[in-house]
Amino acid sequence: MNIICTPLGIVDMDRPGQGISDIAGAGFENILLDMTMCCSPGELENFGKEGKREKRKGRPAVSEHPTELYNRWEPVLEKCRKEKLKVPIAYAPHLGRNSKRGDLKELLVNLVEESIRFCGKLGCQYMVVRPFYSDREYYLRFAGLARENHVMILLENQCRDVNGHLVRGVCADERVAAAWVDRLNEEAGEERFGFCMDIGACSLCGQDMREFALVLGDRIKAVILRDCDGHREGAMLPFTCTAGGRFQTDWLGCIRGLREIGFDGQLILNFSDTAGAFSPILRPGLMRLAKSVADYFRWQIGIENLLKKNRSIVLFGAGNMCRNYMKCYGEKYPPLFTCDNNRTLWGTEFCGLEVRPPESLKELPEECVIFICNIYYREIEKQLRDMGVGNRIEFFNDEYMPSFYFDRLERENT
Amino acid sequence: MLEIGVQTKNVVDDRQPEKGFALLKRTGFSCVDFSLNQYLTNTSLYQSEVNSFFDQTRQELEQFFTPHRQAALANGIRIHQMHMPYPNYVPNGSRELNDYLRNVVAPKSMEICAFFGCRYIVIHGFKLARFLGTEEAEWEQTQKFLEFLAPMAKEMGITICIENLYDGIGSHIVEGPCCNAGKAAERIDRMNEKYHEEVLGFCFDTGHANLVGIDMEAFLGVLGHRLKVLHIHDNDGAFDLHQIPFTFTKTRENQTSTDWPGFIKGLRRIGFEDALSFETAPVLTAFPEVMKEDTLTFIARIGRYFAGEIEAAVDGKEVSCKATM
Repeated sequence: MNIICTPLGIVDMDRPGQGISDIAGAGFENILLDMTMCCSPGELENFGKEGKREKRKGRPAVSEHPTELYNRWEPVLEKCRKEKLKVPIAYAPHLGRNSKRGDLKELLVNLVEESIRFCGKLGCQYMVVRPFYSDREYYLRFAGLARENHVMILLENQCRDVNGHLVRGVCADERVAAAWVDRLNEEAGEERFGFCMDIGACSLCGQDMREFALVLGDRIKAVILRDCDGHREGAMLPFTCTAGGRFQTDWLGCIRGLREIGFDGQLILNFSDTAGAFSPILRPGLMRLAKSVADYFRWQIGIENLLKKNRSIVLFGAGNMCRNYMKCYGEKYPPLFTCDNNRTLWGTEFCGLEVRPPESLKELPEECVIFICNIYYREIEKQLRDMGVGNRIEFFNDEYMPSFYFDRLERENT
Repeated sequence: MLEIGVQTKNVVDDRQPEKGFALLKRTGFSCVDFSLNQYLTNTSLYQSEVNSFFDQTRQELEQFFTPHRQAALANGIRIHQMHMPYPNYVPNGSRELNDYLRNVVAPKSMEICAFFGCRYIVIHGFKLARFLGTEEAEWEQTQKFLEFLAPMAKEMGITICIENLYDGIGSHIVEGPCCNAGKAAERIDRMNEKYHEEVLGFCFDTGHANLVGIDMEAFLGVLGHRLKVLHIHDNDGAFDLHQIPFTFTKTRENQTSTDWPGFIKGLRRIGFEDALSFETAPVLTAFPEVMKEDTLTFIARIGRYFAGEIEAAVDGKEVSCKATM
């Protein structure tokens, strides 16, 4: 799974050095080629309107000269090359949600085509193209050029604005979206179209994200991770949009769905609003946090793949997390045994597993991996290392399980 | 001809039901949604508090509701639909509580429904997806409950209606049971085929749909003839406020932020010709008591507006309430 950072809110197109090095410095290896940064919906809305011509620093507007895309991005890409940042996915220019500029269809086609050529030159494999109203023909026009340039076009779920209230729009119904993708591929005669699941749009429409992911399945090539309050548009760092100590986005449904379909595509982190609001002084720290958040999602989504990889495992912990492991994964990936610091449990059986003392981990075969099933991960890891246990240690986590018990075990700490 | 209905809650008083039904008639309603759920409220059930109302025998309950039935009849008001107390299952509730809800409250609700000659009873599907992991597993539990009630429904000539519900993530409302029209339609058909009777139908709740941004026109189009009952009310898209339609706007242009045009088009498309029933009881506590009659009259007037727009289908007329479509 590729983690991709959105440069919006972080990188200044005219002076990209600092933003790009903040991104690379946090450990990101990829950025999104976001064409809207040099050809925004606002610019397109004003296209051709007298007195509202887009001219910045004497340069021609991209909307008037689509080939300008290259010139505008070149300084950014040069910095990316220096920092070894790759550009695996792009986002095409698009109109605003409430735009009535149906007259700009041909201009949009030109811009998208230019963007596809640009992707081809960069070796960028995917490009997200927002639906133009409900026009499927619009997409088909790009199939040939996309093929020539080895680019896959990704449709994206949209909201519709009912006088300020965002509701489900084009491709928001997962079954309709899946049918669009299939039909387009059928007409293109190859898999030239896929889907980009925008978590923010799903959240704004209160959608069942597990169901959404499941229906679209492997058509989902990219996911845009962003947080918002569920009512207004926003691109905040996941887990930061909270109320009363609880998040507002259904991360459980999101992770359940993506884990279940074995998502292994492009994971785009868009936290442009959060980044834009932070002082540039704090931004390196924020970027490191953002990278950790993205890594966490990759780990949560791929947790089953991690279990799959290890033939021989043992657990550490004989409490609720172990119980949850056994409920959801015990049968598929059975551990040899579990161990616990609570000596009263030694020699007993818990959820079908023998509970042994931590000392028994010293006798494990080398290839056996220990999964810590207790929230005191780092403390336990240190304990095991201090004991001289040399086996690989992984953390298990039951915050986003495929299912839950109705109750929790209550046991006195010993 | 479409009928206009409203909840009995906050209108019909157990001590003087005649007065309430007369008021409903006077203000322009011809049918009601009988609020059986007010006798055992969801807020108390979630606290595992159960009163003794449903401990009464069938005869005692019938005796209790006889004045209501007579008053409705005397005023020419039809009991079109009824709401069963909910939830019917409390996650983390005691076994005793959940057994009581299933084996006592639900069957007695069906009996009361039959006593009123009411054709439809609305139930809430179980909210268990978080625990069970999938919507399908959640539905299995609701289905078991429905299978328990279906023989009674068949015998009594009642159609049980499942309703689109919501759930909460923090303070953000997201879709809950029965928010997928395609699945609901398939499940309704399957159950009705099994019982060779229309034992299951759908109750479309406009407020709940608005909270989770459902495309109302498309949703109603998929439901088609399976749609039996409506809960019409409005909100701000954030909280389940049960207010009067057209109340909420979000922009300086002050156009309705609920997709009422979609709602009207959807009902037109499927040729809906049952009751336009409002679930707006909270409105009546918000307005001063002295304005109750005016408030109800206004709600009924909106109902007639909807009816006019829906029935205008034959003329091919456009929906007149503006919204960005």
